[in-house]
Amino acid sequence: MQKIEERIFEYTGYKQEDFSVCLGCKICASVCTLNDVGFKVNPQELLLSLFMGLKIKNHVLINLCTSCYRCTESCPWEIRIPELVRAIKEITDKEESFTKAMKESIRIFGRVYEPYVILRVLPTIILKGYVKYLKRWKDYINFHLPTFAGKKG
Amino acid sequence: MTYAYYPGCALKGSAKRLDLTLRKLFSRLGLTMKEIPDWTCCGALEYGDRKQIILNSKKNLNKASFISRMVIAACPLCVKNLKESEKDGEFSIFHPLDLLNVKLILSAEIKNDLTNHIFTPYYGCLLMRPKETALKDKEVMEKIIKALGGEVCGTEIKDKCCGGNRFFIDKDLAFNLSKIILERSKGTFVVFCPFCHLILKTFSGDRKVIYFTELLLYVLGDIKKL
Repeated sequence: MQKIEERIFEYTGYKQEDFSVCLGCKICASVCTLNDVGFKVNPQELLLSLFMGLKIKNHVLINLCTSCYRCTESCPWEIRIPELVRAIKEITDKEESFTKAMKESIRIFGRVYEPYVILRVLPTIILKGYVKYLKRWKDYINFHLPTFAGKKG
Repeated sequence: MTYAYYPGCALKGSAKRLDLTLRKLFSRLGLTMKEIPDWTCCGALEYGDRKQIILNSKKNLNKASFISRMVIAACPLCVKNLKESEKDGEFSIFHPLDLLNVKLILSAEIKNDLTNHIFTPYYGCLLMRPKETALKDKEVMEKIIKALGGEVCGTEIKDKCCGGNRFFIDKDLAFNLSKIILERSKGTFVVFCPFCHLILKTFSGDRKVIYFTELLLYVLGDIKKL
């Protein structure tokens, strides 16, 4: 089996040298969205561990990154940390049920078909207390029939 | 000239209003567009494997080439993925905002102006970043609103993240992030991304959240009330 690091490089198109240019300026940590709401997150730690070949499985960013690309914009080398995080999640099987349901929908219908996704994650929606927002979501319920566009192409 | 139109999954489902109003707006402004037949999902931000995302978008671009090499997509995620998959300059990919400008709006027949209205244009993350795929003019909506006599607020929060990507996983995170945006702004929200609309609408209370197309249709007189 390939090592996790090698698969990350394969998925994102980065090479190990690309991380060695990281200056350690921690500007990514200073702009990270998560720090706005009280988390203490340092994306540079993740880069450092990738470069050193240390364990990356349980970094806090992997669960919380919102893919806002603020770190990429301010990074002197424009290292795309959100893409790294997504690759790590897919490789270590840390994806949430919501993401998995969307991917499944793409595989079956070729598109994200919302009623299917909602049915798949229904337990999460009920158990985690999203029901109270239903009143505000009236405008969003637009059922369209699934197409099998993906199968043809 | 005809533009090939890539709606994306959200615009066929939860953001149907954006799709309908965009079509109306384009016909009002005299721009023609034709939907790409048999398009597939671009992969949004769901895949860790970038090759997969680029492959999906390339498929869509191939189908678009029968209509036009000018492709428009209204969802910021789709725009990002299409722009990333296109390397040789064979296709030009636009967000509707790339085509709109003050001159084009003012050249149309204006029924309502925006005096006494306050707006917060909220662009969200992916129209502003990363810079290779971002909008060229990052203040285009502000310019249009000001030209029509409206007041613009909240320019410092316009590119902050609303937590949309994490909403169905950690709703408290999305709540806290959108609270920052809601607190530091005034008036009606003008949004561009289907997910930003969902998140801000969920937490906004009495504040109005509208798509940019609805604002422009109001200006042109196709929508009676904001």
